Amino acid sequence: MKKLITAATAAYLSSLITIFMLSCSHKKDQEKPKVAVVISTLNNPWFVVLAESAAENARKLGYEAKIFDSQNNPATESDNFENLISSGFDAILFNPTDADGSIANILKAKTAGIPVFCMDREVNSNDAATSQILSDNYSGCVEIGIEFVKALKEKGKYVEIIGLVGDNNTWARSGGFHSVVDKFPNLKMVAQQSGDFDRNKAMEVLETIMQANPDIDAVFCGNDAMAMGAYQALQSAGKADKIKVFGFDGASDVVEKIAEKKIIATGMQYPKVMAEYAARYADEYFKGKRDFPQRVPVEVELVTVANAGNYK
Amino acid sequence: MNSKNTLIKTGLFIAIIGILAYNSVYFKKLSDIKNQKSSTFNFNAYADSLYYKGILTQSKPIALNALVSQIKSNQENTFKTYGNRLGIGSSAFFMVETKGKVVSIEDGKIKINTAENGIISIDTKYIFGNAIRDASGLVKLTDFKTNAEFNKVSEALNTLIREKALPSTIQKLRIGDEVSVSGALKLSKKENLELKVLPVKIEIQS
Repeated sequence: MKKLITAATAAYLSSLITIFMLSCSHKKDQEKPKVAVVISTLNNPWFVVLAESAAENARKLGYEAKIFDSQNNPATESDNFENLISSGFDAILFNPTDADGSIANILKAKTAGIPVFCMDREVNSNDAATSQILSDNYSGCVEIGIEFVKALKEKGKYVEIIGLVGDNNTWARSGGFHSVVDKFPNLKMVAQQSGDFDRNKAMEVLETIMQANPDIDAVFCGNDAMAMGAYQALQSAGKADKIKVFGFDGASDVVEKIAEKKIIATGMQYPKVMAEYAARYADEYFKGKRDFPQRVPVEVELVTVANAGNYK
Repeated sequence: MNSKNTLIKTGLFIAIIGILAYNSVYFKKLSDIKNQKSSTFNFNAYADSLYYKGILTQSKPIALNALVSQIKSNQENTFKTYGNRLGIGSSAFFMVETKGKVVSIEDGKIKINTAENGIISIDTKYIFGNAIRDASGLVKLTDFKTNAEFNKVSEALNTLIREKALPSTIQKLRIGDEVSVSGALKLSKKENLELKVLPVKIEIQS
């Protein structure tokens, strides 16, 4: 009798488990794959465009999409990855906070079988992310460097305000710019400081630098938010019409200032293109594709007063 | 005696705190951090080989007039066949060749009058960026681990061409000389760019 009860209980439990598994599998079949959009910071309008475009493209392709803000903090980014992995997300469209520090997070997702498509910011690994879709920052800043040399007629003192020190884009932009400007010995960089890609910080940095170097001729900024901060500092000092400002990003307020001849040049990036390709690659991954190019550069276009009207 | 001990103890305490504080804070120059990222790969040797054994011998430039006429008849196909665009964008780089008479030499910009395409600019001053590397089609993005390394190839190649390969010919150039030029040309699908060649080779014909 006891054996009979045990066997009946086992059969009952086993049927319950089978029904549960079947229902789960049925639910899984019906559920849309979930795409996580993990963004370095939503405290900058440029990254908001990147995040929202990525989520919108994923939704258009028929997937659920949720945006995670890493607040420029690798620890928050790591928490985001833990959460999204345990919440069963199927792909990650990722804008990393740190070229080296973010690799561990990508590898965690990879171990969990989740593909990661980097957008805009590169990580220093060839085999962690499934693919990396990146602005060609270097080439964009080479063109800005050439424009800079011509605008300053090959001589003068200048300041460089770079972005986040741990971000590859910072150095790609700085590297492209210096690959040109450093060949002209009469152009002297009097200060190079980080403005963390932040408008207010760049403004404060330039105000401090100008106390020791009141006679500068130009400022090159690693993004347009900082270019606007630098321009604000120059306006307050009454020097906005004497000192030439250069940015990078293609932000609408800077393009407007270029058209008004208040800022000299910027590099037009295409966050919507990067977001679109990242979502498209995730879609192709879900459909079975596995051979993605590791790095896909996206062209950056020079914007000056000559063509600013085309970008408004 | 007590006050002497207290003084010694206080002194020792300050010294220990000082040593700890000194050793716990490090200041680094931004340029040092940047340089840490550099690898030991010899980019100059690579560029040397790429230029002399690759670009000058293996690259097959298209005649500029043929390129211009093919783009007018079938832009998409011509970009695909002769252009090189790494990644996504509306422009591409082409390795072209042309001949013409030198009409001006000013601040590194040489203008030549060609039979089919009129005045063409040869920019020997601003040979920067990835135009020549990409127009050659000889270097793949996957050959290097990071974009930074990939870009260093261009820097070494441009420096070689701009500072070593071309100057002796440029010094001999005079207005009226007939020259043949091969080099990189950037064209865009969405706007008409100036026909400006970044030269890899200039030969004086007469």
